[in-house]
Amino acid sequence: MSQLRADAAGPGAVRARPMSPFLGVWRWHVTMAASICTRVSGGALYVGLLIVVGLALSLAAGPDAYNRYAGLLGSPLGLLILFGITVANFYHLAAGVRHLAFDSGKGFLPTTANITAWLCFAFAIVASVTVFAIGLMLRA
Amino acid sequence: MAEFTLPKNSKVTKGKHHPAPQGARKIKTFKVYRYDPEIDANPRWDTYDVDVGACGPMVLDAILHIKNTVDPTLAIRRSCREGVCGSCSINLGGRNTLACTHAWSDVPGNQITISPLPHMPVIKDLVADLSLFFAQYESIEPWLHTDTPEPQKEWVQTPEDRGLVDGLYECILCACCSTACPSYWWNQEKYLGPAALLQAYRWLADSRDEARGERLDYLEDPFKLYRCHTIMNCAQVCPKGLNPAKAIASIKAMLVDRVV
Repeated sequence: MSQLRADAAGPGAVRARPMSPFLGVWRWHVTMAASICTRVSGGALYVGLLIVVGLALSLAAGPDAYNRYAGLLGSPLGLLILFGITVANFYHLAAGVRHLAFDSGKGFLPTTANITAWLCFAFAIVASVTVFAIGLMLRA
Repeated sequence: MAEFTLPKNSKVTKGKHHPAPQGARKIKTFKVYRYDPEIDANPRWDTYDVDVGACGPMVLDAILHIKNTVDPTLAIRRSCREGVCGSCSINLGGRNTLACTHAWSDVPGNQITISPLPHMPVIKDLVADLSLFFAQYESIEPWLHTDTPEPQKEWVQTPEDRGLVDGLYECILCACCSTACPSYWWNQEKYLGPAALLQAYRWLADSRDEARGERLDYLEDPFKLYRCHTIMNCAQVCPKGLNPAKAIASIKAMLVDRVV
């Protein structure tokens, strides 16, 4: 197959064939955004897991270390990162359920897939805001 | 690793502008990808102000109008001009479609961007090299495989069984779906792509075919089949309204079925 690419100049051509534009011209569907967000949120969850591991380690290292770590997480920047991880978590959860439906052969109609993609985004935002609202209320 | 931008020799530069002729009634601007293999230069975007009042309703009509009246060097594949042959597939306003069945009045905005099918080697202008695409189609052996002796008259099928290949056999191999797929953009040497997989399922679903096991063996591969991540671009752009994503899911289900 790669042979097809190797002699790609073609008769009369003076240089190798160019590659046609792809991401630069593509007009995205919401389903494509949903797919890339599933990947990105999955990556973000690794970071989230490291934060949780850090929490466990600080807990094991004694009250001083724990208080400093908890203070860091409770700072505005810490809260922003935690909010991002929470959104990623809820989005990934919803996208996982969506893919479960796909794997059982359901939801493939483009209109259905569009709706479920929007639902995943909406769920992620609503659930995250709710969790943070509850959390901040309990802290206050 | 997937690359997100075009290689150096493929970056598209600004090209020529062709103004509308005197006395044009209704003008639309077409921004067209141009590449001439006989000139040592990068591809370019040429813009054409077309008097759409003087040409037919479809994008293909406008392209042929440009070719006939402004620039005869513009290259495009086309044949049937009615959505049956699958030759004139292009990227139109950021989505893949057939130039012959898409009206220019349906493209949003005053400027219509036309480029070859995405992430493919370009032979000239709007003509992409589809050799790999067709080699992949050939690799799924798109013909009937049987072991039992051939019947005297014909291989028979109930209307219900025949119905199972509806939504599969209509594919015209225009490559709109495969070249819309980001997985295919980044793994096209290993991933078969939506079109070839839709056709693979067309033969898996055929009640007369007797090679289901071998066909599934061929597809059971981390790249050939499982690079599909249900991004859905294939089903979103298919000009025939087919659903390769669903067919791929059906193949995955068949692979599960045979081990559980």
